[in-house]
Amino acid sequence: MKILVCIKQVPDMESKFKVAAEGTWYDNQDLAWRMNEYDEYAVEQAVRLKEQVGDADLTVLSIGSDKVKETMKKALAMGCDRGAHIADDAAWNKEPFQVAGIIAEYARDKGFDVIFTGMQSQDRGSGQVGVLVAEMLELPSVSTIVDFGYEAGTIIAKRELEGGIKAKVKVQAPAVVTCQLGLNTPRYPTLPNIMKAKKKELLSIPVAELLKVNARMETANMFFPEKKGGGLVLEGEAGELADRLISILKDKTTVLK
Amino acid sequence: MIFELTEEQGLIRDMVREFAEKEVAPSARERDENERFDRELMFGRLAELGLTGIVFPEEYGGAGADYISYAIAVEELSRVCASTGVTLSAHLSLGANPIYLFGTEEQKHKWLAPLAKGEKMGAFGLTEPSAGSDAGGTRTTAVPEGDGWRVNGTKIFITNGGEAETYIVFARTDRTAEKHHGISAFVIEKGTPGFSFGKKEEKMGIRSSPTMELVFENCLIPKENMLGKEGEGFKVAMKTLDGGRIGIASQALGIAQGALDAAVNYAKERKQFDSPICRFQGIQFQLADMATQVEAARLMVYNAAYRASKGVSYSQQSAMAKLMASETAMKVATQAVQILGGYGYTREFPVERMMRDAKITEIYEGTSEVQRIVIGSALTR
Repeated sequence: MKILVCIKQVPDMESKFKVAAEGTWYDNQDLAWRMNEYDEYAVEQAVRLKEQVGDADLTVLSIGSDKVKETMKKALAMGCDRGAHIADDAAWNKEPFQVAGIIAEYARDKGFDVIFTGMQSQDRGSGQVGVLVAEMLELPSVSTIVDFGYEAGTIIAKRELEGGIKAKVKVQAPAVVTCQLGLNTPRYPTLPNIMKAKKKELLSIPVAELLKVNARMETANMFFPEKKGGGLVLEGEAGELADRLISILKDKTTVLK
Repeated sequence: MIFELTEEQGLIRDMVREFAEKEVAPSARERDENERFDRELMFGRLAELGLTGIVFPEEYGGAGADYISYAIAVEELSRVCASTGVTLSAHLSLGANPIYLFGTEEQKHKWLAPLAKGEKMGAFGLTEPSAGSDAGGTRTTAVPEGDGWRVNGTKIFITNGGEAETYIVFARTDRTAEKHHGISAFVIEKGTPGFSFGKKEEKMGIRSSPTMELVFENCLIPKENMLGKEGEGFKVAMKTLDGGRIGIASQALGIAQGALDAAVNYAKERKQFDSPICRFQGIQFQLADMATQVEAARLMVYNAAYRASKGVSYSQQSAMAKLMASETAMKVATQAVQILGGYGYTREFPVERMMRDAKITEIYEGTSEVQRIVIGSALTR
C-alpha cells in the first residue's frame, strides 16, 4: 500500500501578526513555525493506517523553502517513511489551485492508495487544497473527517456536518480524505524515532518541475478588521441595572423576542 | 563554533515542550500542594517518549542522543515542573549513569538497560547525616561476608527514594583507610531484605518529588553488586556528580526560564497608571537583566553538555554551569515574584512555586560553595 500525507508549515497561532510590506500576506519574520494543526491529525491517521496494514510506504509532502524541512522531520519522527520536499521560496504566494496542482502533479502515476491532508491550513484557511487534489487526480474525496477506518480497500469515514450531525461515508480507495479536529490525538515523536528520522530519505524537488497550472485568483490586499468600540459597562443600583439590561436586550438583540 | 541546535535537538525541544505544557503543567500546582509524586506521568510517560535513557547507547536500551538533548529535556520539563525535571535528572545522571560509566558489561545489561528503558527507576545514595559536602565522612559500612557484603547504615535526602527500584549506594569497605580511600559503590535493589525506607522529607520546594531516607540493617548483597573497584567509590561518586551537575544546572535553567516567561507575560497584561507595566522602564530593565542572565546560564549549561558529549573534561565547566544556573534561577524567580507583586505571592500563580523550587538547586548535588571549591581548586592546582 502507498500512502501520501500533505502537510504545511504555519506560524504558531499565538504569534503577533503583521501585514507584510507588499500588503497581500503576513510578515513572516520573527515567527515561530510549526505543523498545521489539521495536518497533524492527517499524519497521525496516515501512520495509524500504515501500522494497521503493515506492508505500507508512507510519504510526507510539503511545499516551501528549506525551512519547511524542520516540520517534515517531525512527520518523519512520527512515523512517515520518506519525505518529498517541493522546494519553493514563494510558496506563501501560491493560491490553493496552484498548491493543489503541484501536489496532484507529484502524486499522479505514483499509485497512492490513500492521500491524507488537513481540512484547511491555519494561516490561509481556504479549505480547498485537499478536495482540489482529488478532483485533479479524478479521485473521490471525503472532507472534514472525524473518524477513519480501512478494511480491504474500503475507507469508512465519519464526516462532521453543521450542528454536530455526523455522516458515515464509504468510499473505495484510491481516495483523498481531509482531516478535522477530533479525528485523533497526534502522538509525540519519541526520542528514538527522532534519532531515526535523520536517516530517512528527504528529497527536494524544484517546484518548477511540478507547477503546470496557472493561478486563478489573487489576493488584492490583506488587512486587520477595523477595531470596534469596547463593551458597554453599566453602573448603578442592581434593580435599575436589571431594567436597563432588559431594555437593551429587547432593543438590540433577539434573545427576548 | 556554531551556537545553533541541531535538527534533532530542535525536534526534541519541541516535543518535550509540548508534552510538558500539555500534560505536566496542568497538575504541577496540585502535585506541589499535596506533595504527590505521580509515577505514571512523571516517569512512565517519560519512558514512553524515550527520555529515561536519552544519552545511553541503543544496545543498553537508550536513545543514543547527546548531552545537550538531555539538558534540553530536563530544562523543558523544569520550565513547568521542577519536580518532574529532577525526577529525570536523578534517575538518569545519578541512578543510571554510574552503571554506564563504571559497570561491567554484565552489570550494564542487568541494571542499566531496564533503567534506560524506564522499566525501572534509579536513585543515588551518598549523603548521610554526617556526610554531605564531605563524602569522606561516609559511615555506612559494607563488611565482607560469605560470597557478598553485609551493609549497615543510613542515607538521607535521597531523591526518588522509595519510588526507585535501583539504588547506587556508597559504603565504607575499609575502615582503616584514609577518608576517601576506603569507600566502595554498590548497586542495591529495592526489596532486598534489610533495605527499608525511613522518613519522607517535608520540603520547601520540589514537593512533588519524593525525598526519602534509606535504611540498611544487615542488608546482604551479592559480591557482583559492587560497582567499580573496591575502594574506588569516591571516584565513582565524583565522576557521577560531574554529570549530575549538568542535570541540576538544566533544571535550574528551566526554572529560571519559566519564571522569566511568567514575568514577561504578566508585565504585558498588567495595567497600572493606564499602561501595561512592561512599558515602564523600571520593569523593562528588570526583565532585560533576567533574560540576559538566563541566556548566559543557558550557554554555560549547553557548553558543559557539549563537552560531556565530546568526551573532553567538563568537571570545571559543569561546576560553573551549575553555580551560574542555580544562582540565576534563585534571582530570576525572586524577581518574577516581585514583578507579579501581590499576585506573585499567591499560589494562584506559579512563580512562588518556582522561587521555592529554585532554592534547592543552590544546595543539592554540590552546594554553590562546593562548586566554588571545585572551580577554585581547578584554577589553582
